[in-house]
Amino acid sequence: MKNKTLCRVTTLLTLVTMLAGCATSGPRDPRDPWEGMNRAVYKFNDTLDRSLLRPVARAYTDLTPEPVRRCIYNIFNNLDDVWSGTNSFLQGRGHDFANTLGRFLFNTTLGVGGCFDVASANNARKIRNDFGITLGVWGLGHGPYLVLPFLGPSSVRDGTGRIADWAGDPLAIHRVNDVPWRNSLLGLKVVTTRASLLRASDMVDRTALDPYSFVRDAYLQRRGAMVLGQKFTDEANLPYYDENEDPDHMPPVAAPINRSVQP
Amino acid sequence: MQFKRLALLSAGLLILAIATATQAKPDPKGSPDQFVLDTATEALAVLKQDDAAKGGDLTRINQLVDQYILPYVDFQKTTRLATGPHWRQATPQQQEALTQAFRATLIRTYSGALPRLDKNTVITLLPSRYDPTATDVVVRSQISQVNGQPVRVDYRLEKTSEGWKIFDFNVEGIWLIENYRGQFAEQINQNGIDGLIQALNARSR
Repeated sequence: MKNKTLCRVTTLLTLVTMLAGCATSGPRDPRDPWEGMNRAVYKFNDTLDRSLLRPVARAYTDLTPEPVRRCIYNIFNNLDDVWSGTNSFLQGRGHDFANTLGRFLFNTTLGVGGCFDVASANNARKIRNDFGITLGVWGLGHGPYLVLPFLGPSSVRDGTGRIADWAGDPLAIHRVNDVPWRNSLLGLKVVTTRASLLRASDMVDRTALDPYSFVRDAYLQRRGAMVLGQKFTDEANLPYYDENEDPDHMPPVAAPINRSVQP
Repeated sequence: MQFKRLALLSAGLLILAIATATQAKPDPKGSPDQFVLDTATEALAVLKQDDAAKGGDLTRINQLVDQYILPYVDFQKTTRLATGPHWRQATPQQQEALTQAFRATLIRTYSGALPRLDKNTVITLLPSRYDPTATDVVVRSQISQVNGQPVRVDYRLEKTSEGWKIFDFNVEGIWLIENYRGQFAEQINQNGIDGLIQALNARSR
């Protein structure tokens, strides 16, 4: 079973590399050399989202009472905290690790299996984390931006990180042995996650000039901030907005901010 | 008679003093932390109470933004930085039109969040670390609600001759200007400054 999935991932990566070679529209943003392919995958994901995932998520939101939805969302989030905390530990962020561990214990017990996020209510903020961020903290740049089929925005680094997340997370859903249970849980998690993003995607629809680059730029910024952690508002890490470059000789898209990634 | 009038006057002054103490007017010449807290708290208090604004009445929201937000923001700078080097090629009329169009886009973006404000929405400052002599600083804060995760919002300010002005902010690590720079450049390269203005206006209609 595991080999089969691994095989699929390898096939996918090979396909991605091949497709990347045929991207012809020419690199515009240096962070996104495979823009042509990425846009195609983005379009595929977007079509799937609009025709299937979004309507289901909306129906779920309409039909399920808010407290129930929140409870389900919180339970999944609570399970995620174990792997998030592990990553904080791997990153040497002892404070975050202790916080997340405390959150998990507190929410699992007093929060009735994670149904109530009592930790957040007591100012223990959720610290999202995954192995892609850990690789970033260890000094790996994000590499080319990559839109994954079904999964959405990612990068070469974060995509690799996802494989480690899949293999490493002790509470990941694919570890459930009973197939009907596993599939139902997976489906529920996907719908819950999508429902929690409805407002954000509506906002992108309302305001983005180009949803593709809006999502890409937001993704790369957000991930960059997560890698920097507490340091992301330090003066050295603030975006520098160049106004003086000669417009006739500048690359079509403003050069990205080169954030130094130091753990 | 004279005494009575004096008593009335001092009572009036007292009420005024209490009123201003509970809702401090933002002071751009004070510390950037306090300035941001007062600006955000005042705007939040006004928006929370305004049913028209919460209901999505854009005219009303625009009025409130003019009155409670724009005086403390250097929005032309925000637009200029988002436009990048192309800004200097634009005529003053184009610059003005672009600033207005961008403003409308942003109002449209954030007015979607207004119905979620309630009496439990609170803004708290997080400890900031900036040099007291700096003229470009970041003030860190979070917006908390009873249900759901608190949202991290940071403001970037510049010291001008009129005091502090906000010109950029980030939500959960995503800076506003940086997130529009790429899209602006894309549009300008394809359709020029006027094309960008048109695209913005088309989105916010």
